[in-house]
Amino acid sequence: MSIKETEGTSNYEYVTARVRTRRAKLFDEEDYRKLLRMGPGEISRYMEETEYETEVNALGARYSGVDLIEYSLNRNLAKHFEDLLRWADGRLYTLVARYLRKFDAWNVKTVIRGIYSGADAETIAEDFIYAGEFDRQFLDRLAETGSIEEVIELLDRTRYGEPLADASADYEESGVLVPLENAVDRTYYEGLIGGVDATENRANQLYAEFLRAEIDFRNVRNVLRIARSGADIDPEEYFIEGGDLFRASDLAQLSGSIDELAAFIRDSTYGDDLSDALDELERADSLIGFEHALDVALLEYADRLSHVFPLSICPVLSYILAKEREVENIRAIARGREAGLSQDEIENELVVL
Amino acid sequence: MIEFGVLFAQGGIDAFTPLQAISENGMAALAVGLAALGAGYAERGIGSAAIGAIAEDESLFGTGLIMTVLPETLVILALVVVFLVG
Repeated sequence: MSIKETEGTSNYEYVTARVRTRRAKLFDEEDYRKLLRMGPGEISRYMEETEYETEVNALGARYSGVDLIEYSLNRNLAKHFEDLLRWADGRLYTLVARYLRKFDAWNVKTVIRGIYSGADAETIAEDFIYAGEFDRQFLDRLAETGSIEEVIELLDRTRYGEPLADASADYEESGVLVPLENAVDRTYYEGLIGGVDATENRANQLYAEFLRAEIDFRNVRNVLRIARSGADIDPEEYFIEGGDLFRASDLAQLSGSIDELAAFIRDSTYGDDLSDALDELERADSLIGFEHALDVALLEYADRLSHVFPLSICPVLSYILAKEREVENIRAIARGREAGLSQDEIENELVVL
Repeated sequence: MIEFGVLFAQGGIDAFTPLQAISENGMAALAVGLAALGAGYAERGIGSAAIGAIAEDESLFGTGLIMTVLPETLVILALVVVFLVG
């Protein structure tokens, strides 16, 4: 399933104008502060008065509490990102779709996990986010298959077919899903950049650079988690190609010590942007703080790009990131309140620019 | 124009015949046409952005409309040329 090539030129003006308006409507700090004081029921009522009205009303009869919030968020996210694909033409479409394939990866993983845990088709389909390239019908067919082998077979003609087929031997041997999930993630990240570099356009080059930064950060995160958990895992297995910060061999060496890794990042091109994050890591010794600082750095970078290149993919990218962040923040608040965490603890989970 | 005239005169050719294929008025009209083309191109981008903004928020209709027709001033300025020449 390759990206449809749309004819014509990119309509940056139109898409950017719409995206900027929607960006401005996202929740700000004030909204989060209000939400932090609410319980799940109140949050969904609050959401009913905002952007999420349609979704909350549509799902209100079927779900309640945190589930209602969660499904509304997913549905709203899918709606907005589908809009993006509907508006965009030409090159812009290709660039947006490339990034939104993240949700294809998410959906494929949902199917695999669902089948593995023995969930029925309906339960799996509930957790889909219909925002990627795979259409609803195809995803529903995936959910209805009874076994992981059938899923892999169905995906045969897509980009995930081959890597999954390769990984299925490992899966059968070990009985855990990690090889399959890794194969999906890796396919996504490796398909992300291909072809973007080749353009002359400065904005597209920066977009590619941004994607590389995202891959680098993902690698950093993985290494840190491995180093932290102290588990006996070979970090090279989790290495994602395409970034420019590490080679697979560096990673294995650095995963031994967090200090070394921090020093390595400080000397790299990201040193300046990430110095706050690194200080946080060294001072508080907390992974959560560091990971959030990485997120903030990405968001800020995307925002900066969108101001420098207003007629390019960059504003769209910055909107996609901000929207995803908002959804994650609201979810964190709702889940946190449900679990009875204190306000401070939840606030630590939020990433607000 | 004058140098050309001198040149042609020296060559014994009636200076203005070949250049009169398009009259001064015609040139002025061409200027207006080109200005309109430029205005149209400018409005293409602004118009699509304005429509995008209006689709999101209808209250932007007035602003969008004004922004869209701003390049029209180019054509009005080009009309001045017609009066200068004509």
